[in-house]
Amino acid sequence: MPEWGGGHTTLETIVQELQRPVRFDDSFERRVMVRVRRLHAERRSRGWVAIASRITHRPGWAAALAACVVAVVTLGLVRSRPEGSANVGGVPVEPVQFVLVAPDAHSVAVVGDFNDWGLGDSALVATNHEGVWSVTAPVPAGVHRYAFLVNGKQWVADPSAPRATDDDFGMPSSALVVEDSTR
Amino acid sequence: MNRLARSLVALSLAAAALAPAHAQDPRIGNRLDAPSRVAIIALLDSARAQGIPVEPLMQKVNQGVAMGADGPRIVAAVRTLTREMATVHQALGTVATADEIQAAASAVHAGVPAVELGKIKKQSGLRRSLTLPFTVLADIVSRGVPVEAGVNAIRSLVGAGAKDADINNFQRNVSGDIEKGAPPAAAAETRAKALPAGKPDSAKPEQLD
Repeated sequence: MPEWGGGHTTLETIVQELQRPVRFDDSFERRVMVRVRRLHAERRSRGWVAIASRITHRPGWAAALAACVVAVVTLGLVRSRPEGSANVGGVPVEPVQFVLVAPDAHSVAVVGDFNDWGLGDSALVATNHEGVWSVTAPVPAGVHRYAFLVNGKQWVADPSAPRATDDDFGMPSSALVVEDSTR
Repeated sequence: MNRLARSLVALSLAAAALAPAHAQDPRIGNRLDAPSRVAIIALLDSARAQGIPVEPLMQKVNQGVAMGADGPRIVAAVRTLTREMATVHQALGTVATADEIQAAASAVHAGVPAVELGKIKKQSGLRRSLTLPFTVLADIVSRGVPVEAGVNAIRSLVGAGAKDADINNFQRNVSGDIEKGAPPAAAAETRAKALPAGKPDSAKPEQLD
């Protein structure tokens, strides 16, 4: 997948960037200590301010630690993400195959919540394999309603899926629950 | 602050709160007649105010338009769905997800009392998503399984720790049995006995109240 492909190259770039020595100007330490002392005086606390004042500034160690954190998080994400799944705008998306056996059909499309019930260009057009029509599409995790549109005019529910009980418009439709496989 | 200034601030806040609600639904557009559009916007605002997920309502509008339904019929469908989701939202509590509320609403539409769905939710705990169990419950009841038998079957499966894959298999088996001529109640009761390994004692079905 383009989004996750070349993950190691990306990771190496991040690690290299984080390992570069960080250069501060001469006044950096003085400014930090002024700020720390001011906070210490303001809060009169022995909490995190007291601890922070004892930390010695070592950019190399900090960079290495940050690189480790990034590496663990990034590798963890790459490994936990199953093949075929993706994440679009923060919403997990899973590939779903829709299949309808309709030997006499001239065209079959899939229309549902996941494409805003869009007809025409928005519909998922199925491919015919000797009367077995199928299309695989990325569908966001969650619950959806959908139906097959046969020959551009006949609505058909998916015989292999649970029924959508609320067929308010007199046409059958089906229910689809897409699990987030990354959870 | 004098009374006039306070009123102006309150009015501004109210306008700010209402304006985005309408602006968020550009998909309604001009696909509906004016009275239906106004009615739909009012229903969406009402749903938002109640904390009910709005997206399923919007998708109901889209479905109606795609299927060639007229405005009043779409409004009636959205109104019904709003009412059903409000009912289950109350029954399931604030821990229910938007997907669970939508799935539960379809079960209510099929004839399952919301209170029974609330019991299943309470039994299952917070971590187990009930989106698929509620969807399957709606399906089997719509295929003729009596409500009590359907609720008991789903309750026993969830109580036994059945995964979504098990519940999917249960739905396929029950619908297959019914298509072959089996009595729906017998199909559901028999198939629910094929529980996954490691079932807890609490998995035993209970009588409906």
